[in-house]
Amino acid sequence: MKNKDKPPELQPFFDKNIAGDVVPSIGISMPRIDAYAKVTGRERYAADYYGFDMIWAGVKRAGIPHARLKSVNTQAAENLPGVIAVLTHKNISGSNRQGVIRKDQPVLVDDKVRHCGDAVALVLAEDKETLAKAIKLTSADFEPLPGVFTTETALEENAPLVHEDHPGGNVLLKASLEIGSVQSAKEHCDVLVEACFETPLVEHAYLETEAGWAQLKEDGKLEIVASTQTPFRDRMEVADALGLEPERIRMIAPYAGGAFGGKDGVTVQSLLGLAALHANGRPVKMWWSREESFIAGTKRHAARMYYRLGAKADGSLHSLDTRLYFDTGPYDHLGGVVITLALEHSGGPYRIPNVSFKGWAVYTNNPIGGAFRGFGVAQVTAAMEQMMDMLAEKLAMDPLKLRLKNAVRKGDKNCVGVTLTHSTGLVECLEAVARHPLWTERAAWKSKAGPFKRRGAGIVALMHASGYGPVVPDVANAKVELTAEGKIKVYCGVVDMGQGNAATNLQIAGSILCQNVDRIELILPDTDRTLPSGSASASRCTYTFGNALIGACETLKLRILQRAADLLMVDDCDETALIPGAVRHLPTGREIPLHRLATFMNESERTATQRFRAPTAKEIPPVGNEIRLHGFPHTLFSYGAHLVRVEVNELTGVVDVKRYLSVSDCGKIINPHVYEQQIQGAIAQGIGYALSEEVQVNEGKVLTADLATFIIPAASDVPEIESQPVEIYEPSGPYGLKGVGEIATNGPLPAIANAVADACGVRIFRSPLTPSRVLRALRERLSEGGVH
Amino acid sequence: MKIRFVLNGETTELDVPGDRRVVDVLREDVGLTGAKESCGSGDCGACTILVDGESRLSCLMLAAQLQGRRITTIEGLGSEAQLHPIQSAFTQYGAVQCGFCIPGMVLATADLLKRNPSPSREQIRRGLGGNLCRCTGYQKIVDAVQAAASRSADHEKPLRDDK
Amino acid sequence: MRDVSLPRSLEELWGLLDRESAAALYAGGTDLLVKLRAGLEDPPALICLERVGELKGVQDELDEVWIGAATTLSTLMEDPIIQRRFQVLRKGLEVLGSPPVRHMGTIGGNIVTASPAGDTLPALYVLGAQLEIRSKDGSRVVAIRDFIVGPGQVLLNRGEILAGIRLRKVQSYAIHHYEKVGRRKSQACAIASMAALLTVSDSGVVEAARLAWGSVGPTVVICREAEAAIEGKPLSMESLKLAIPLVEKAVSPIDDIRADAAYRRTVAGLLLLRLSEYSAGTCSAQ
Repeated sequence: MKNKDKPPELQPFFDKNIAGDVVPSIGISMPRIDAYAKVTGRERYAADYYGFDMIWAGVKRAGIPHARLKSVNTQAAENLPGVIAVLTHKNISGSNRQGVIRKDQPVLVDDKVRHCGDAVALVLAEDKETLAKAIKLTSADFEPLPGVFTTETALEENAPLVHEDHPGGNVLLKASLEIGSVQSAKEHCDVLVEACFETPLVEHAYLETEAGWAQLKEDGKLEIVASTQTPFRDRMEVADALGLEPERIRMIAPYAGGAFGGKDGVTVQSLLGLAALHANGRPVKMWWSREESFIAGTKRHAARMYYRLGAKADGSLHSLDTRLYFDTGPYDHLGGVVITLALEHSGGPYRIPNVSFKGWAVYTNNPIGGAFRGFGVAQVTAAMEQMMDMLAEKLAMDPLKLRLKNAVRKGDKNCVGVTLTHSTGLVECLEAVARHPLWTERAAWKSKAGPFKRRGAGIVALMHASGYGPVVPDVANAKVELTAEGKIKVYCGVVDMGQGNAATNLQIAGSILCQNVDRIELILPDTDRTLPSGSASASRCTYTFGNALIGACETLKLRILQRAADLLMVDDCDETALIPGAVRHLPTGREIPLHRLATFMNESERTATQRFRAPTAKEIPPVGNEIRLHGFPHTLFSYGAHLVRVEVNELTGVVDVKRYLSVSDCGKIINPHVYEQQIQGAIAQGIGYALSEEVQVNEGKVLTADLATFIIPAASDVPEIESQPVEIYEPSGPYGLKGVGEIATNGPLPAIANAVADACGVRIFRSPLTPSRVLRALRERLSEGGVH
Repeated sequence: MKIRFVLNGETTELDVPGDRRVVDVLREDVGLTGAKESCGSGDCGACTILVDGESRLSCLMLAAQLQGRRITTIEGLGSEAQLHPIQSAFTQYGAVQCGFCIPGMVLATADLLKRNPSPSREQIRRGLGGNLCRCTGYQKIVDAVQAAASRSADHEKPLRDDK
Repeated sequence: MRDVSLPRSLEELWGLLDRESAAALYAGGTDLLVKLRAGLEDPPALICLERVGELKGVQDELDEVWIGAATTLSTLMEDPIIQRRFQVLRKGLEVLGSPPVRHMGTIGGNIVTASPAGDTLPALYVLGAQLEIRSKDGSRVVAIRDFIVGPGQVLLNRGEILAGIRLRKVQSYAIHHYEKVGRRKSQACAIASMAALLTVSDSGVVEAARLAWGSVGPTVVICREAEAAIEGKPLSMESLKLAIPLVEKAVSPIDDIRADAAYRRTVAGLLLLRLSEYSAGTCSAQ
């Protein structure tokens, strides 16, 4: 009998050794170095840490949205054999508060529960089964409080307060901006359109739920491995919350199994740190279940957005009035920053002389609103880009022409008063869509819809800022080393959560130092080994870190060449060149292997570092200081235009996305595969946002806490996506690059909504566009029209 | 409960509770962490393994069911030095981002190509319908599966599991 | 910890059930193990039926086809007899879950789970499936529509198991139709579905119709009135439309997190209209 488990006997076509021979170049698709360990199952994510003598830690969640905590009953759990400890806030000697801007979230509840996912107790047990039992046996006495579950009720006078100590009451942050005069401008508009849009609360649904591993080392150091986007910031947060000196904490961030903003900030870290402090030096593992991730993790803010857009008869935009209400849940997390970025993008990539934008991030007792790819821009783009189509319809104008007419160009002021001094390729993106057969041949395609089908096409124009804005330094520190063995080590300061920046770092270093892949080692973010480089977020990773890395590599290169020139006794290091594993003197062909050269250099000479700080807008726009502190305004933007074709099923209301085109100005591209990955993946997430994803919540309780009821797209739900770049060189970027991580997420919802409106003649102001909502709208229209 | 089965080609004997989930046996008892747990309820496919060559979800299988079976996990398919053609195609065609879904995706592909050695793009999408990915938008995964299929065809050695 | 037994024969199974009559039976585990994890069930022991040879396979008998209850959904989907004679069932299987779920799940499991959304159920209803229930002491046969009495509720006594499904081979219906409405194209729970068998004369008149709807009531819904309304009439939009109100009356859907009741009711009726595509000479709708 043959062994059925033997892998099919086929020769590998491409293995690491072949890839390892490649000297990376900029601008070509090369296999990502991280793919090899991932595709063989050998990559060790934070969730994959297990070890000898390990303890499991888990959390008792409140399960009640708003209540005063009277006591936690730990005795029953403590008596269970196999339980090591049941910890409460009393075991915390630090501030017991976490947060990025406003530190308002307890590690373990002390005074008050503010949402169902709040952590009430931390249980340590010998195994998972005992842990689950002990969590069940742990209980708490609560004095239930009336909660606030919508932004409307939260803003009412006498509404119950989520944070009694917050001077703004339930308003975490009110952001506003006025340019020109909307009031008087309105009279000069020939056309006005008005609407209110609602977008849902959405889960990141990364495949690796929140996970980590911690151990108190013999030297007193607290080592925490976590699936995180922000190891350096985490260290400060954990230190403050637990009352430790930051230097006592070492944060290690392996490749994350997806993050999308949901791991931008502390998830398991403080809990794990606390557990490790009570584990007698034993390692502790925590891994949230999918349900726990839904209940306790952060989400994309649900939003309600009022828009009034005015234009002249020729289609030029004249005034825009918006009011944005974002449900930020019980904690700031990054809610203030999100509403600020939303405000900045709420008028889209257009020139509008008169604007009045107001935004409220509102505390409620719902799940926590936080960072999610798009970061507030996904919501406002959904509104603004539908407004543009509504305006086009009212003006009887082609929606693409309307966008072109108003599109920002380099040198313009955008609608929040920032002069666009960097590359600005929106017009090129829109023109590419206008030329594309998916657009030019849409009428013929639409006319061929089969029975009970309606077809439509929709477009959108996009912009997305990169970086932190003016106040928080958007800084990266790169470090690169020629090792004693003559290899290159790249110390990555920014987490790779799947977006591929680690592989890009290798590509940059390999290209500059002319070393093949096998001679380069990546050191992933580790607060003890790599240098602080900010978060993996804000479409900034490769832009900011890449710039720093280029500088570090160039420094090291020069040092290597100079040292080699000295040893070869030649005058000019211009005559020497790096080749894989060696330096060659070009006129004579003599070579010095790098491992020999390295023996002549001491460690500090073999190491180069470089800091880079991203540029910021120099204009002082008419906003309060509070808004500036939250990152307003930006100077560097990526642009894009999307086109979608949809088919609507008249009998079921199901919307089928048939084709998708994305054209983006994200500068020059370092690795086309990685660029396409970002665009395609973001569009798939955006399609889910448009059609199926909605965390349903009732009185603060999540009703859709699993992947069977929170519906993210599967392979057949995503169409073939064409992703064209408009490669405009951005002088400030590494090799001319701009951020690409987020922009494409913002397109699908408004594009699909516009396409559905094109197909059916109805607009659905509340997303996702579920079969039920679409069918209802379609039938209301049909009955009004007396058809059917 | 004593369980004997073949794991990645090697006869393995374990003494584990019969009602322990296979994903836990693999990850915690055997130390093979390639099978990922992401939902625990059969919705995502991250814990896919091959049981007698057929894709199954190790979060919905109990240790007792391993008895006498031949199990292939991602670790048994190929190594970094000697990638399986599917793994090779996944790396080459940019199908891997965060990678957490990839072991399941690769094994689901092995099952798919065994049943249908030259699937259309649509058939690939359907064949991977139980494996959720949140990073890639699936397009490059479909590219990779197509490439793996055509390479096998080129070499006249269909990806199959000799029964 | 619970004991998990894997009997290899019915004989062995009866012995196990004698010893632990409250043991939970499962075959694929795609339903029971999810419930166990969620703490919704807490049986003292588990019996896995995946290795009981007598419960597996498809047998082509004289005027019937017998399907073992522990036959996996994917085996069934690829079976030539099912493909040749029972396309409506095959269509249901094709959209059920995903490949790994179909490799694990079984037809018997889909029936005994008795979810109103079970994707094989509307097909089995229109095919008039007879179920073979066995116990240590003997066997009985019951129609599927009498067996399933509510969501998750079936008429199975302690010590009894669903052993097989019997389908009549001679089914004159030329049109086998199944349409599922889900929130995703794979790995989705039906929010409404309809199975239909039709015989249409050369002149386009519906001679016989069998219709069943999933996810629009506590069990699969059948509507004799709607069948009667389209029988004897041309297969056209007009006659199908006339049956819509009858369907809307027959169904009793609920609001849940996947869809609202009003939507389900409307769609149940509208799905009938899809049948008009067959009259246009196409063999497969959608």
